[in-house]
This record gives sequence, C-alpha cells and structure tokens, in this order.
Amino acid sequence: MAKHLRVFRHSPEHRKKGTMRRRLPEWFVLLLPAFIIMAAVVLIPLVFSLYSSFTPYKLTRPSTLWRWIGTANYEKILTDVKFWAAFGRTILFLTIALNLELLFGLLIALMVNKVTLGQRTIRTILMFPMMFSPILVGFQFKFIFNDNIGLANNALQALGISDAAMPWLVDGKLAMFSIIFAEVWMSTSVFAVLILAGLFAIPRDPLEAAKVDGCTAWQTFRHITLPFLMPFIFIAMTIRSLDVARAYDIVQIMTGGGPAGRTELIWTLMSRTGYVDARMGLANAMGYVSILLSIAFTVYFFKKLSAARSELGFGDKI
Amino acid sequence: MNRNQTHRSRRWILKSLHLLGLFLIMAVICIPGLWIVLNSFRPTVEIMAKPPVWTPTFTLDHYRAMFGGAGEGGVPVFQYFRNSLIVSVASTVIAILIGMGGGYAFARYRFRFKNGYFVGLMLFRAVPGVALSLPLFIVFALVGLIDTHIGLILVYVAMNVPFTIWLTDGFFRQIPKEFHEAAEIDGCTRWQAFWKVEFPVARSGVAAAAIFAFLTSWNEFALASQLTRSVGSKTMPVGLLDFTAEFTINWGGMCALAVLMILPALILTFLVQKHLIAGLTFGGVKG
Amino acid sequence: MTEVTLNRVVKRYGKHEAVHGVDLKIHDGEFLVLVGPSGCGKSTTLRMIAGLEDISDGEISIGNRIVNELPPRERNISMVFQNYALYPHMTVCENLGFTLRIAKQPEAEIEKAVKKAAGILGLDGLLERKPSELSGGERQRVAMGRAIVRRPDVFLFDEPLSNLDAKLRTQMRVEIKKLHHRVGNTIIYVTHDQVEAMTLADRIVLMRDGHIVQVGTPMELFNNPVNTFSATFIGSPPMNLIDGVVTDVGTIILRNSLTVPIPAVARKQVVSGQQVQFGFRADNLMPIGHAVEEPGELANLELPVSLTEPLGTETLLFAELAGQEVQAKMLNPRPVQPGETIAFHLVLNKCHVFDAGNGKALRD
Repeated sequence: MAKHLRVFRHSPEHRKKGTMRRRLPEWFVLLLPAFIIMAAVVLIPLVFSLYSSFTPYKLTRPSTLWRWIGTANYEKILTDVKFWAAFGRTILFLTIALNLELLFGLLIALMVNKVTLGQRTIRTILMFPMMFSPILVGFQFKFIFNDNIGLANNALQALGISDAAMPWLVDGKLAMFSIIFAEVWMSTSVFAVLILAGLFAIPRDPLEAAKVDGCTAWQTFRHITLPFLMPFIFIAMTIRSLDVARAYDIVQIMTGGGPAGRTELIWTLMSRTGYVDARMGLANAMGYVSILLSIAFTVYFFKKLSAARSELGFGDKI
Repeated sequence: MNRNQTHRSRRWILKSLHLLGLFLIMAVICIPGLWIVLNSFRPTVEIMAKPPVWTPTFTLDHYRAMFGGAGEGGVPVFQYFRNSLIVSVASTVIAILIGMGGGYAFARYRFRFKNGYFVGLMLFRAVPGVALSLPLFIVFALVGLIDTHIGLILVYVAMNVPFTIWLTDGFFRQIPKEFHEAAEIDGCTRWQAFWKVEFPVARSGVAAAAIFAFLTSWNEFALASQLTRSVGSKTMPVGLLDFTAEFTINWGGMCALAVLMILPALILTFLVQKHLIAGLTFGGVKG
Repeated sequence: MTEVTLNRVVKRYGKHEAVHGVDLKIHDGEFLVLVGPSGCGKSTTLRMIAGLEDISDGEISIGNRIVNELPPRERNISMVFQNYALYPHMTVCENLGFTLRIAKQPEAEIEKAVKKAAGILGLDGLLERKPSELSGGERQRVAMGRAIVRRPDVFLFDEPLSNLDAKLRTQMRVEIKKLHHRVGNTIIYVTHDQVEAMTLADRIVLMRDGHIVQVGTPMELFNNPVNTFSATFIGSPPMNLIDGVVTDVGTIILRNSLTVPIPAVARKQVVSGQQVQFGFRADNLMPIGHAVEEPGELANLELPVSLTEPLGTETLLFAELAGQEVQAKMLNPRPVQPGETIAFHLVLNKCHVFDAGNGKALRD
C-alpha cells in the first residue's frame, strides 16, 4: 500500500492537491484516535508517574512533587525485604495459578470434547466464570471460605471430614491456597473455552493417521493434538497475561494481603503504599516494577504465540 | 479374542471416569454461583446460623431492601446500575469504533514499524489497573475528571481499544481483499465498501470484541474504586463494597447485588456466545 | 500371508444402516478397489477395516486375527488419506519416520527406512521441508511414503487422488501401481472414480447403498455387468441403454418399432412380452469405415448425429436411436456435420439385455 501511495504523490494532479493540503496516509488517520486515547489516558499518567517515582511525593503534601530525589525510591524498594517478599510471592502466585489454569483448562477441554450429548449446554456452563467480575469472585470465595458460615467449612463438617473450623482465610498457607483457588476458578474457563475451540479446529485426518500409524491415545495427544493446540494455548496465555493484575481485586477483597502480609502481592502492597500511606512516589516506583512484570509476561507469550503459529504454517504476524 | 475383551472393558472404565470427571467439573463451576443466588434469597439469620441450616427458607427481603433503598445499609442500587450501564455501554461503543479503525488499518495497510505499533498498543493494555490508578488519579484530579462518568468512560475506552484492535485485525485479515475491490469496481467508495461489504462479514469478530469490552468495563474494579467517589458515578463493583462495614458484611444484600450484576453479563454473553469463541480464535490464531 | 476377510459386516448410525452385511475376502497381495458413488458405504467399509469406525455387526479379520475390537494401532495397517493427513508441525523426514519413532525403533533403523522410502518415491530433496512448503503431488507422495515406512500387512487408500488435478492424478495412478508391484502388499483402495478403479485394480468391488453390487476383475465388470447400475457406472462413456419389449420372434422391438435380434446369450433368459433394456457400449456402435471390424454378428443402422466431441484419435458421436440419445465411437475420425446421417454397425454379440424392472442382466 505504501508503494501505491508514493506513486500517487508523484503523479502531477495529486501533487497539486498535495501542496494545497497535505494528506495524511489513511492508515495513520485510522489509527490516530487509538493513539490519542492511549496517549491521554495511559501514556501521560505513566510519564507523570515515572517522574513522581523520582520524587518523595506524598498526596498529603503536594509541594513534595517538586523535590527531585533521584533513584532513592527505587533504592528503597530494592533493599526492602517486604517488597521482595511480595514480588517473589507474586511470581510464585502467577506461576502456580497459570500452570494450574492451563492444566485444568486442557483437561476440561479434552473431556468436554469427548461428550456427544448435551455438549452445547456444557460449553455454555463453562463460560460462566468468565462473566464474573474479579471483585465478585473475591467476595464469593470470601463468603464460601468464611471460617464460620462459609460453605466450605459447613460442608466439611456436615460430611464429617473435619470437626474443627478450617481457618481458610486466617491461616497464611490456607489463605494462599484459597486465593489461588479463586483465581483458578475464575480464569480456567478462558483456557478451557479456547483450547476447546482449538480441539474443534484440528483436522480429523492427522488424528486418524496417527491412530493407524500405531499411536496410543497418549502418543496421539502428545505428538499430534498438543502441537496443534499450542497456538490456542498461547492465545489463552496472552489474553491472560494482559490481565494478570486483576488478581489484585480478588486478593484485595479476600485477604487484603493479610494475614500478616502472608498473601501480600506486589499490587496490594503498591495500592496500600499509595492510598493508605499516601506515599505516591514510592508507590509509583513499585508500579513501574509491576508494569515491567506484566509486560515481560505479555511479550513472552506473544513471542511464543507467533512461534507456535509459524510452526503450523499459519500467518506470519509479528 | 482375549485382546478384544480387554479393550472392551478398558473402554468401559474410561467412559465411567469421563462421566465422573465431567460431573465434578460442572459441580465446581456451578456451586459457587448457585451458592450466591441461593443466599440472596435466604434471611440473614439463616445465613449466619451455626450450626448451618441446610433446608433454605425463601425470602425476598434482600431484594426488597436493595431496591427500596431503605433498610440496612440503604444502598442506592438503581444509581449504581445506571452508572454501570452508562459507562459500560458508552465506553464499549467508542472503543469498538476506535478499535475497528485501528484493526482495519493493521489488517489492510502496510506501513513502517507496523509490528512495533501493534506490540506497543498491546503493552499499554498490559499495564496493571492498580499501577495506572495512582498516577491517573492525580492527573484526573488536576483536570477535574475524578468522580465523573466521562472520566471513567475515557479510561475504559483506553483499556479496551488494544484488545479490540487485536480481535478485529484478525477478522479483517480473513476477508479477501477482492471483496472491497469488487465493491469499489461496482461503484462504492472505499468508505461504502467497508460498511457494506467488509463490516458485515467481520461482524462476529466485532460482536466478540464488543462483548469483551463490555464485560471488562462492567466488571472493572481497581480503577473505578479510585476514580469514583460518590453515588453519582460509582459503578456496581464499587457498590459491592457498600455492604461491608468495619467488621461485618451484609452477605445477603451483597449476594442480591451480585445477582443483579451478573444477570446482564450472563444474558448478553449467552446471546452471542457463538461469536465469542469464533472471535477469540480467529483473531488470535490465524492472525 | 495377509488375507482380509469381511464377514457380514454391518455399520449402523443410530437407526440408519449405512453398510448392510458386506461379505468379502481379499487375497494376500491383491490390489482391491472399492468403487461406487458417494454415500455408497465404501469409505465406511474401509474405515471399519482400519478401526476408525466401530463395527456394528459381523466380523473383520486381518491375517487370521479377528480385529473387531482392536484399536487401529494393533492392526498393523497403513492408511493414505484423501487430505494427505500430514502432520503440519513435522518436516517430511519426521513425518516419514513418525510411525517408527512411536514404535521406539532405533534411530539408525528409522533413518534407513526413511531413506529407502524417500528413494522409492523420489522425495530425497524434500526431507527437511514442512508440508506447507510442498505441492499437492509432493504431499501425496509423502503420505504414501509414510505408509510404506511402517511396513504394514495391509495398505488402505481412502480416495488418495481426488484432491489432485487431472494430470497429476494420472501420474500418481501410475506411481501407486508401480508401488504395488514393488512392495507386493495387500492394498485396499477406495475411490469414486471408475477410471482409477479400472486401471489400478486386480479386482473391483462395486458398491451401492451399502450393498456390494458386483465383484470381479476390471474386464469382468466391463464385459459382463450384472445390472444396469454396473453397466452405466463402469466404462466411459456409460453404456447406452434403450427401452424395448421382447417379441415372440426372437427380437426386441424398440420404441419406434425398430427391431433388433436378441443377443445369443440372453435368448434363453427372456420371455415374450417382457419389458427390457437393451444395452451396448459406444465402442460397439461403429460408424462403417471408421472402426476396427471384427467377425461377429452385426446389425446395420442409419442414425442422425446431433453432436460430436472430438477427442483426437477418436470422436464421440451423439446419435439418436429409437428416440433416445446414444453414443458411438468413431476411429480415424473425419469431420461430421450436426444433422448428418451416418451408417453404423452394431456388434450384436457384445450387446446386453437387462430386465427393465429390477435392472438385472439377462444372460446365460
């Protein structure tokens, strides 16, 4: 297209027109609104926050915005045990949650794919958690894991499995489990639905060929189904990685980072530092670490996605 | 013959395991949601009862309280619902218009740094809401957009544009160039060719993108909780917090609001669920 | 020794029965072609042999093992699919060696087998390519190579050539035949194309609506079709069929009171007054002076020609006989004007008579 445009400009009639009013390329006009809104709502605040992360800015004392303190905030973070603990915990949380989601999603998709009767209904139910607001999921599981009146404990006691009330959200380890459970409950469907779509898209012939070629069910899955599914898995991963931080909503509601900071993730720590302690500069510095983290995830899965695509001979985008 | 027999019995065992697994999955997915619905109809005494009451009593108290705006808490549900609806619908429509233009540009034109622009846009989407909320709060406070519908709409448009671009790009790419070329030869302008030929074909992709945009706006909490302050602009996810006091939570009332919150999303999604999956996979895989 | 035996094999989908009790014995080393129009059950039958479809009733054995419940992998077969079914994420080399790698053969073995198959099929230069970088014919050859590498008891081909263009199809047909001569395995081949069936098969199984219509060598089917379906399906152009009634003086009276003598083989099978169809191939309706005349019972006809289709060495003439259109072959063709009347010889001893009711051939 660019080539076409150049030809356009050199033709005499258009040059005349061009001197009267410079024509922007069409692609640019089409993308301009997107650029403007992104710049206004994301870029400018980010630039501002980048600047403020080099100041001791406190919401309560606006004048602090103009004091440059260099990288002091970052140094503070990097030497802060609490921050590193939250950072490490976030990585751990994401690793466990994403892997479980993938595993369960794959398992569910394979099972649903085998269903012949009522598959549509099951697929509809599968999408159910996708519609839940993360904060709602947080409340829902806060309720269910409530040690006094929650469904989890009531059921355990009624079934006679445990007499004592399990302190789901009070004990550090159990709280982490509960949060991961909620996160996995919410996000597994994205994987299941996309992988299921992938299963539908697999041509039948290679699967049958593999069967005839002597593959067991496992070998067929390992050598044929899985490679076909990889692009779908990475799309799910990419979509998820765009949104990893929504776990913040869940954690904020369920435990608020407690008990005693045992479920503190980088996002809850940041929001407390910013809003409760009003130390914006410091919080923004943390924010930048969290942004880099999200971007790292996204870029990683995007790369994987395009690699998987070209492996199967799909498009060559990116 | 013996081998034939073992294969038959193994198949039977696998089938039973399959059914059991499916049942468990469906139970885990459905029970939490049903629990919420069930409790929205139970009196508070019963919810709080120890030992638990397993045979539920039916009451509409929570809904009455919620819509009456009176009683415990007195949550202005109607306003929250209205705010949510205005913000979500407006931001969805704008995001789709802007995003579709962008998607079309990426699908149909070639220009320098195209992939760079694309990845850049996606990375903006990856910025965590919490991290963005801090500086955005300050900037919005400066320009007076805090606690307004417009402020929130702008934010959600920015959140949804990148993903919309991604999805629609994939869809427009599926449409052969010949479509609009034929339309232009038949006498359409480029603009007409787009609306009359390419847009209808890419409709399911646009529908999917719209649903995602709507759900994102409808359900967003991290930004809304900071950028809204009063009844005039608070959305429902933020409104849920109204049911929590220092040490107690009005579970019944919250469940009722939760049901109200899920219903529109549920209906909308089921209406277009076919497009949803098609949209997601087309946009991504064959992109 | 690999015989494949089908014993009253039935396939049901719910209440609908797609294959009705097929009995078939395929000999060791035989090239058997299942042919028929789409939906006749030929592919279903093949897929039941492969183990890709459950067998609703009856028994299939390969060698002397009953394989009804065995999964495909335990049947030691290879299959070439219509859409090639190459694994897109593997190179040609990996595709070819896949089945051996699954069977955990030593790497050296695999390499040897792959080399050999690649040599047979002329794939040597393509081993590092991915399927998406191959042409249709090359993909087809890789699919065949993958089948060879396994060294199966039986090869199954499911319409392997139908996605290729006409020229390539002819080429690949020859390659498949050569392949059979070289490896000598039992081959079961499904196609809807009667030319493929005629050129490839040792024996043809003609199917329709889930039943076997006729089994025999290509020439048997061509020369002695058991019914009108077989007569029109096998051979190109299809056999000419003219409605008629048997008279009591040893002739068949066609629609416009034209009569032809009853061919000798059918004479004892017909009764006077019977409604029949009189059939003959285009090759046996010969324009006088433009055919290889053989000794035989001939009838003279003069027919108006409405249309010609020149094919080079011969021209297909569309003529009118007893109110119906018939086709004739003109060798050493000369230009023919539409509407021109031409004198023909009809070779009576190569004509067929079919019952008009059930279509069965009337023959001693």
